[in-house]
Amino acid sequence: MIKLTIDHQPVEAQEGTSVMEAASMLGITIPSMCYMQGYSNHPSCMVCLVKDLDRDSLFPSCAMPVSEGMNILTVSAEVEEARREALELLLSDHRGDCEAPCRLSCPAFMDIPLMNRLIAAGDFDQAIRVVKEEIALPLVLGFICPAPCEKACKRKPMDQAVSICLLKRSAAIYGTSTNTVKPWLPNTGSKKVAIIGTGPAGLSAAFYLLRAGYACVLYDQHEKAGGAMRYEIPDDHLPKEMLDTEIGEIVRMGAEFRMGNPVTRESFQQAILPDFDAIILAAGARKPDTAGIFGLEPDEHGAFFNKSNFSTSIPGVFGCGNILREQRMAVHSAAQGKMAAKHVEDYLEGGISIEHKEFRHTVVSVTGTLQKSEWNEYLKESIPEQRVEPIDGILKGLSADEAILEAKRCLHCDCRKPSSCKLRDYAVTYGAHRKRFAGPEQNLVTKSVQHDAIVYETEKCIRCGLCVDITVKHGESFGLAFAGRGFDVRISVPFNETIREALTFTAGECVKACPTGALAFKNQEERIPE
Amino acid sequence: MSKRNKAVNEITDQMVARHGTAVDAVIPLLQDIQQEFNYLPVPALQRICETTGITPSRIAGISSFYAQFRHSPAGKHRIRVCTGTACHVKGALFVYEAFRRELKLEEEEDTDASMIFTLEKVACLGCCTLAPVVRIDEVTYGHVVPENVEGLLRDFLTKHQKGIDRQPVYQVSQSNIQGEIRIGLGSCCVASGSSEVKSQLEQTLAQARISVNVREVGCVGICNQVPIMEIIKPGENPVFYAKIKPEDIRGVVLSHFKSEGYINRFKTGFFNLFENILSDGMPSSFRKYLEEQRDSPLSGFLGPQVNIATENRGVSNPLDLEGYRQSGGFESLRKCLTRMTTQKVIDEVTASGLRGRGGAGFPTGRKWQLVKDQADAEKYVICNGDEGDPGAFMDRMLLESYPFRIIEGMLIAGYATGASNGIFYIRAEYPLAVTRVGEALRICRNSGLIGTSIFNSAFSFDIRIFAGAGAFVCGEETALIASVEGNRGLPRMRPPYPVEKGLWGKPTLVNNTETLSLVPWIIHHGAKAFSGIGTAGSKGTKVFALAGKVKRGGLIEVPMGTTIRKIVEEIGGGIAGDRKFKAVQIGGPSGGCLPASMADLPVDFEALKEAGTMMGSGGLIVLDETDCMVDIAHYFLSFTQSQSCGRCTFCRIGTRRMLDILDKIREGKGKPEDLTILEKLARSTIRGSLCGLGKTAPNPVLTTLLYFREEYEAHLAGHCPAGKCLPLIRYEVTADCIGCTKCAQRCPSDAIAFKPYELHTIDVEKCIKCDICRQVCPADAILIL
Repeated sequence: MIKLTIDHQPVEAQEGTSVMEAASMLGITIPSMCYMQGYSNHPSCMVCLVKDLDRDSLFPSCAMPVSEGMNILTVSAEVEEARREALELLLSDHRGDCEAPCRLSCPAFMDIPLMNRLIAAGDFDQAIRVVKEEIALPLVLGFICPAPCEKACKRKPMDQAVSICLLKRSAAIYGTSTNTVKPWLPNTGSKKVAIIGTGPAGLSAAFYLLRAGYACVLYDQHEKAGGAMRYEIPDDHLPKEMLDTEIGEIVRMGAEFRMGNPVTRESFQQAILPDFDAIILAAGARKPDTAGIFGLEPDEHGAFFNKSNFSTSIPGVFGCGNILREQRMAVHSAAQGKMAAKHVEDYLEGGISIEHKEFRHTVVSVTGTLQKSEWNEYLKESIPEQRVEPIDGILKGLSADEAILEAKRCLHCDCRKPSSCKLRDYAVTYGAHRKRFAGPEQNLVTKSVQHDAIVYETEKCIRCGLCVDITVKHGESFGLAFAGRGFDVRISVPFNETIREALTFTAGECVKACPTGALAFKNQEERIPE
Repeated sequence: MSKRNKAVNEITDQMVARHGTAVDAVIPLLQDIQQEFNYLPVPALQRICETTGITPSRIAGISSFYAQFRHSPAGKHRIRVCTGTACHVKGALFVYEAFRRELKLEEEEDTDASMIFTLEKVACLGCCTLAPVVRIDEVTYGHVVPENVEGLLRDFLTKHQKGIDRQPVYQVSQSNIQGEIRIGLGSCCVASGSSEVKSQLEQTLAQARISVNVREVGCVGICNQVPIMEIIKPGENPVFYAKIKPEDIRGVVLSHFKSEGYINRFKTGFFNLFENILSDGMPSSFRKYLEEQRDSPLSGFLGPQVNIATENRGVSNPLDLEGYRQSGGFESLRKCLTRMTTQKVIDEVTASGLRGRGGAGFPTGRKWQLVKDQADAEKYVICNGDEGDPGAFMDRMLLESYPFRIIEGMLIAGYATGASNGIFYIRAEYPLAVTRVGEALRICRNSGLIGTSIFNSAFSFDIRIFAGAGAFVCGEETALIASVEGNRGLPRMRPPYPVEKGLWGKPTLVNNTETLSLVPWIIHHGAKAFSGIGTAGSKGTKVFALAGKVKRGGLIEVPMGTTIRKIVEEIGGGIAGDRKFKAVQIGGPSGGCLPASMADLPVDFEALKEAGTMMGSGGLIVLDETDCMVDIAHYFLSFTQSQSCGRCTFCRIGTRRMLDILDKIREGKGKPEDLTILEKLARSTIRGSLCGLGKTAPNPVLTTLLYFREEYEAHLAGHCPAGKCLPLIRYEVTADCIGCTKCAQRCPSDAIAFKPYELHTIDVEKCIKCDICRQVCPADAILIL
């Protein structure tokens, strides 16, 4: 047995054990992208670098055998910086979108491409479930949303953007509500949240709080819920029965509405503040007396609401929607309502507010504007048809068949491995920035789609070679090979054969081993909600 | 099956019969296929997969890893433009571009439309003293200038179509020998036309019926003066003729030796006169050997040198085994086998203080001991002759000129370590070295110096050659081993070191060519004699390829501890063309640039390392004030970047990003923060790379940043002080212009209007900055601004 020290802890390991394995005996996990047990242990990614204190040098822990008296550090500023740089270099040579641009430009970060794929497959029930993960009022927003997503759509420069807003409405209409939204009646003894205001922010907050098992009471000065959506938007834009349908759902989930009385300073202080575990202020644009009514004190910058967690000077009181800042889009308010619900949940469960990592900070790779030559690569997985205009007019929306056709126009520009991509995971963990070492020109996206089960996107590959090893080990007749060397090394199929020839029975294993989205299953989704 | 495929199969099957079906046959097989078809046709590769254990994946991986292999048909002739360091600083890129223009190659094309010529860049042909050098098939041209590539191609085509004159070799009558004539046949000499000189000499001797010994000798080292001919007459001082041309031979020979018979003498004199008249006024512009025709014995060049690795240089015929043995050759081996235990041999080498000459300087004796101490019955010795540094040709010269000495060194190493098999790994770009060593091995085998029971001892040893296929990284020992095993030349993690687990998992001693060549001398003269030369930590001598802007370049061997100044000023004769000595680049792409102010630094492993550079394998390129240090850093980094195996992230992407930044700086688009990122990336790449290539690739950048930072800053401000970086310069005609129109006639982009007797002007919009106008101007009236 060989004795060594890792992170100041003594450990014994058999000869031939790698430092990485020895560390795992101590419960220390070292990140790695290119290492897989049972395959040629040839370090390349350098994300598993650790420090040898005696030699004052860094080395890849996956391939370094333990030796007597070694003194290893797996966590230090130097190690983290080195790992971050390795990730940043890999990102500088990695082209693809972690998330589709439509999703990134949606204030509610709705998983639009996934919804599109489900609709394209005719699965409206699943589609609406995906939508409701991020948007509580898809039917209403399907009428009134100005659709910033469509402006970002990668299909837009090619012909026209995918008709995302109408597709979302179709999902809400054709995806059966009963299947998708079961009545989440709050448990007795649940914590209670008061929500002041029933516009898009308040209703969204209620939806997500109810879903999480809290009791909600909504207050509004109007007789009917909906706020500006009901009282400002004309019927020919938004038929009010749509609004009623979605409010009805929130009612079915167990929300209590106390309508027709404006909240006053007295009622707030005496009847609301003492009675609830948390309160969300979603009463619309601030008026001169707003702060007075709720007793809010400004902070040193003169702000009433904390930018990151929406909290106020009163513990347990949060805000969302136009009361924070005036905004034109209902979807923005709806998104804030959802976030407020999460902040409230953090507050109620932990007593302290955890800062939610903003969704866009989990996006580490972005393609930006495509070159025209790249369009065909994307169109390989789409259809060439023009945007479908609803035959019965915008107000009627798309028929189910029209929706399915339109959804097929989506380019699938989001990553197929949003959850399992190690590059993304580690880049977020280590705070790696894709632009730090950006090169002068970006690689052009290529997609090999000839294989029935998988898609190969060269420009996402980090050249770890695990797939090459797998095909060789299992005796594929062609298999994959390294082509070229140095910066230009690529994974390719020998003798210009296609990927279908290369992976006749090892495709699945290669996909699982691939640390990025370079090799991915064609028709499997990693993020279908339960 | 088509007829064609059938033929391909038959040819391929013969190759397989020759090399076998094991995976390690893959590189030799591909080399044969390429030799046969001029590229690697897919049907031949498929046939290999059908008939051997080699998989498509392996073939695809290997054939795309090594630069030697092509996947598309090449032209009838291959033009290889050397872009080694010496050639680079002397304008190789201008030459390359001129060929592209001449052959009308579009972007991405390397072969002209009629498939006659394929143009490629090659890292180094090892003829640095003739820079810039171009090789077309087997014909090498030195001192090529862009304006005359057309003439060069014509010259090649006429000569090539004529075929090489094969005159009957003149046999001297042994009775009346008047003396000896020695002709250098190293690569530089051959490149400069020594074989033409030799055939002219033989012709002259035959016609004039003069009896002298004609002796072919290996590299003389004075590569700056080639071709060299030395005439030795009993009772007279030897006379060197440098830069001699075939047409000079007759006169030279007749001035030294008497022709037999009056008539012949008259006849030869008459023809001689005639030829002189004819050849006058026809100077070939790519060889300017007009000055310094008759040199002194070159005491400045040879004086400060000490010859151990290059002992008997200029005297011995590389393949004359008897000659080698007469001068004590193989006596060291005999001494080891008959009078020394293996431990005694190792102790002697250890005591000599010999350190590896490949660059890192690991103590040789200790390495041998580590191999000896392994219990395995099977062990290997590999001579690392994969000299890939641009600007270095020590190994090539040693292999070509002293093959027996290196073989002897390898045999001693084999005996000491308990190995029984040796491999010469020689890079593909050195065909002459491969042939010479192959021939030398054959001779040794016939004489019982290789094989079983050498010198009637219990020691048996066999040696074979493995020709590398063009990958600099294979100079790294683990990559070299991977290559011999039939893999892509990827370095691997050490430990385990090759001394424990090397070739086929067996203990393997990998020694540099020069290291092995020093061993026989150490055994013969004793450790003390060797350790008496040099400095405290660096013993013995070091061979350098001295090239660049010195007056006298060549292959030199100096005692460790010699200062750089002495090398540049005494041996090299100072800077050519009255320009200022600016810096030396030492250690090739792994080394660094030292400013002239540090020229008193001695050649010593530690001293060089401390200064940020390293000994490297021995390239020493001298730079003058017209060399841009940013350009030099870019040059070396683009070399290592292109030679990275592509495995470690820091080397694969890091060196590329560094190069991107240098590109920006050379274009005048750099920002101050780019220098910070550049330095950061350089240090990270050193820290985060596994092998020597990545760990040293940033050295040229770091040393230039350290010693010449002001030049980087000048580029940031949009100015290249040396006038080298094309985007930052423009060409202008000064008032000295005499209106001769030479520039206008030669300008390939019509940027100069044809106006006789008028002051010429350059249209900067049209100018492609090819430098031709400046080179052809007889009045030095073209300026770089």
